[in-house]
Amino acid sequence: MALRELPYRTATALCRDARPTVNAIQPLFRRNASTDAAPEVETTSFADAAAKPDAVVKDFDPIARSRARRRGKKQLPPSRYQYREPKYYRGPLHPHQPLPVSDPASRRFQPGPFTLPRLDQTYQSTIAQDILAMTYQHYPPGYRAPKVEQRLREWQGDSPYYKGRPLRGPRGKGEVLRLLQEPRTFRNIPKITKVVVHSMVPEAMQDSANMHVAGMILQAITNVRVESHKARHNVVGWGLREGRYVSVTATLEREDASHFLEKLIDVVLPRIKEWKGVPGSSGDGHGNISFGLTPDQLALFPEIEVNYDAYPPKMIPGCHITIITDATSNKDARLLTQAIGLPFYGKLND
Amino acid sequence: MNAGQQTRRAAARAGHSICRTCLSTPRPYATAAAAAPTPEDALAQHIPPVAQSSPSTSYAVNAGVLLSRPPQITRDLHPFEAAFFLYQKRLNERLALPFTRYFYFKARTPADREWKRKMAQRLTPARDIGRYKGYGEEAWNDEVLVGAKESEFQWQVDRLLEDAQTTGAEEEGNAVAAAAAKAETEAFERPPSRVTEADEKNDTKSLARALQRTLYLLVKNKEGRWEFPQDRLRDENLHGAAQRILNTSAGPNMNTWLVGHVPIGHYASNYSAPKSLPTGLQEQGTKTFFLKARIMAGQANLKDSALGLKDFKWLHKQELEKAVEPDYWRQVKNMLAER
Repeated sequence: MALRELPYRTATALCRDARPTVNAIQPLFRRNASTDAAPEVETTSFADAAAKPDAVVKDFDPIARSRARRRGKKQLPPSRYQYREPKYYRGPLHPHQPLPVSDPASRRFQPGPFTLPRLDQTYQSTIAQDILAMTYQHYPPGYRAPKVEQRLREWQGDSPYYKGRPLRGPRGKGEVLRLLQEPRTFRNIPKITKVVVHSMVPEAMQDSANMHVAGMILQAITNVRVESHKARHNVVGWGLREGRYVSVTATLEREDASHFLEKLIDVVLPRIKEWKGVPGSSGDGHGNISFGLTPDQLALFPEIEVNYDAYPPKMIPGCHITIITDATSNKDARLLTQAIGLPFYGKLND
Repeated sequence: MNAGQQTRRAAARAGHSICRTCLSTPRPYATAAAAAPTPEDALAQHIPPVAQSSPSTSYAVNAGVLLSRPPQITRDLHPFEAAFFLYQKRLNERLALPFTRYFYFKARTPADREWKRKMAQRLTPARDIGRYKGYGEEAWNDEVLVGAKESEFQWQVDRLLEDAQTTGAEEEGNAVAAAAAKAETEAFERPPSRVTEADEKNDTKSLARALQRTLYLLVKNKEGRWEFPQDRLRDENLHGAAQRILNTSAGPNMNTWLVGHVPIGHYASNYSAPKSLPTGLQEQGTKTFFLKARIMAGQANLKDSALGLKDFKWLHKQELEKAVEPDYWRQVKNMLAER
């Protein structure tokens, strides 16, 4: 009963205009049914568990226990206790549904994360707040941003089919709608979302071994399965033929991306002779920065150096590295990549 | 009885829907927002509403510098995080394809033999997850026992170093082979300790302490109060003043970088009685605006300090709470980094 009246009591306590202080505090100190139960709720005992191993804990041997339990008994076949995920998705109405990806029994399950990367920790503790302080734009209270009008073009004409048709993109060939520049807040500090390592191997049209070597190298340095791509068009000048496999890419996210960038910035780039930095002309205006490494530079990765002999030296490819950030301009993307330790040279592309 | 109905009725009876604090104090933002939708205001949207309520009062404006040294090393993992990472690594051993041995070690070479010896000892290619086999009948036994060290960072570092320095022949009693192999393997430098000498001595003047935390420069001013370096703003802008304060207070023997030109926090305090200025204004108190700076190299030196500072300390957030006054702490705590 006391619990059911609680909302009413709260409302009256808050709404009463003039009242003595004792009345105002009263609801807070009222004893409820749950009051006694609260101290019995245990705080986490995870850290304490390791501190006190007693005799029972010391002698515990899971393998021996399991053997003793199974001795003299016939084990059930796995089909009786193991759930096997269906190989194909047969629609939402099928009784045999796939497991969620997070379940270790699922076919699509990927273990991880395995570490807390140093780059992520630096980003959270240092880089993000510095970028916020550097790019913060103050607006006085009461300021309202000017309204952004429709940036897409309407269909103009008499045709009745123009009604309800999706709006047209910007005029001109190759023109795209540029990203909006939102004012900087703590919610939209640019961060690295992905890294794409790409290697184009036109020699693979003559000898597919080049393709395999490029794939192995990219997998070794990125820790990610590569994807191979076909040429989309015939290009006579480059000897490209449509439909032939010519390039491999590895798309890195989260932990893999952080580890790859750490390795690149702290191990590989400092060892390159007379490396000038990332060209300042890099950047597509949407927050992506790219630069390339030559075959000699790619061979400096520790994963390749450790068994350099395993790769045919003539077949080691170069690669392009694209750092994909959620910045909305070249300037912000450059600020972020400079903060993680990539220098830029030459004329900057703004 | 229906509790929801009762509440609604009680709320209707109560009358006032504005709390008492809001009734007593004017709300400048709300009035500005309420005035916004009028049409003549649409043109003037870029002009900030500047209105001084009482022109006879004023505050002294100070510039302050929040000089910090960012964390130098990664943080210690919580035991739960460490256990989780080890669990995921062992799970990966079960699910990943087997290690491609002959791609890395040519058959019947010394390196290959060493690999075989080490694999026989630890059962898995991974060097930092302890003795565990990911394939076979007993692969389910992937949980570490109570009190096991496998998930600890230092244990994993030790195993990696041991792997680099040994050949696996030591345990087999092959003393000659082990001695020969030991001569070949180079001595590896152990990574320096995560706890430094300054940590043990609790030397708060040193920058080589609390490597996992952000350290802030705190100075003792003329009155004996601990605060961030600050000074009255002269005929200059905020970041110019911050640069001047850095140079004059803690000496030029610091390589510093001013992060941005905007203040990241402010501290306001009132005098006990307002001061009359020669201009006829009443000065109510001081307002200090803090700019952020990072120290790259060097150390603070108060020898030629022009601001009359007596002492300095490098403290992290939790230590800072105890060093400064409660009111100061209340106003500056939100501009300090957690780590």
